[in-house]
Amino acid sequence: MIAPFYKFGLFNDEISLIVAFLIGIGFGFFLERAGFGSARILAAQFYFYNMRVLKVMFSAIITAMIGVYYLSWAGILDLSLVYLSDTYLIPQLTGGLLLGFGFIIGGYCPGTSVVSFATGRTDAITFILGVTFGIFVFGEVFPLIEEFYYSTPMGALTLPEYFNLSYGLFVFLVVMMAVGAFVLAEHVEKKLAAKKGDN
Amino acid sequence: MKRLFSNLNLNKKLALIAIFLGLISLFGSSPYDSSLVTVDIKELSMESVKNSDLIVSAELADKIIKGEIDYRLIDLQDEKSFSDYHIPGAVNVKLPDLHSPEFLRNEKIILCSDDDLKSAQAWFILKARGYKAVYILKGGLKAWKDEILFPEINSEKIKTSEGKKLVEISKYFGGIPQTGETQNKQNKLKQMPKLQTPANTIPVNIPKKKKKEGC
Repeated sequence: MIAPFYKFGLFNDEISLIVAFLIGIGFGFFLERAGFGSARILAAQFYFYNMRVLKVMFSAIITAMIGVYYLSWAGILDLSLVYLSDTYLIPQLTGGLLLGFGFIIGGYCPGTSVVSFATGRTDAITFILGVTFGIFVFGEVFPLIEEFYYSTPMGALTLPEYFNLSYGLFVFLVVMMAVGAFVLAEHVEKKLAAKKGDN
Repeated sequence: MKRLFSNLNLNKKLALIAIFLGLISLFGSSPYDSSLVTVDIKELSMESVKNSDLIVSAELADKIIKGEIDYRLIDLQDEKSFSDYHIPGAVNVKLPDLHSPEFLRNEKIILCSDDDLKSAQAWFILKARGYKAVYILKGGLKAWKDEILFPEINSEKIKTSEGKKLVEISKYFGGIPQTGETQNKQNKLKQMPKLQTPANTIPVNIPKKKKKEGC
């Protein structure tokens, strides 16, 4: 059996919806268990009081990266069939920055707001309404910003390709980056906690 | 060593494992270079014995006329021959490009070419890459030409309903049925039909599957 299962025809469109549902439930469950249902914990990341977001997300990234790398190495996953979205550099940087601002102000990113709403928080439903309204506005003004939206296209690009590095070296570098970030995060947390204690 | 490892807390253990796997991956190749495949020889040989992987011209013509779009028609000719003539709805794909084709594994794929060997090679490549339903147009484009575009129909056969159907199909695709009268006069006129007609009258555009990935 070779993955991706959907592309190899192991299940059809209808079953894929059920699979997506189950994976979505799992994703939401682990986000909530990681504490991402709380706007306080999420926002604290940006003030470096609580580095949980960085730790959880970076752990997830390197786990997935190592898993994907070794599975395709073993011939169980055909990575060429895994969809890569196209890169549009400037518009995506702008979008990322905007999302970051929204994240700090609202205390959620779109996914975590849904998780938080599931636990009954009212700030989350306000956030979801805001997201929905934003999507609506985006759709309405899209013709005006379409040119910008598709500017600086770079195609389906990966960092190893762009920097002309081997994928293996890149995996190693990202792992080292993550471990470094974890050590640093713990250090900063301890320092800030001590500072808080002093006051 | 073992004792040292077990004394660490869980976080540190996980970090060590990640570093270890990262170190090994330094020596690994690109995960996109998965040109190595395993082939079920028994299954492949069984299919070629049963001829279940062939589709005859008449069947394909029937599908096109009915407007069925549950398949992808891949034409393996070179560019020039392809632009001279191809079956309505066919997409030109080169044999080397089949290394990483863009269609789904569960799609029905029909291969046609002016060279049977090419079709057979493409069939094997796709089968080995895990494509489930790959068919070869039996006899290739030569058979298509002989049986659909310029079918030989003698004066007796043309009176039967079967003969009439053949004439109709041939005309549908812009061919000329080789009946007794036309045979002598028009033998030199076995020109391939122009691509514009009737190609654009048939709904041949295979709707692209919606991209379901992304967040």
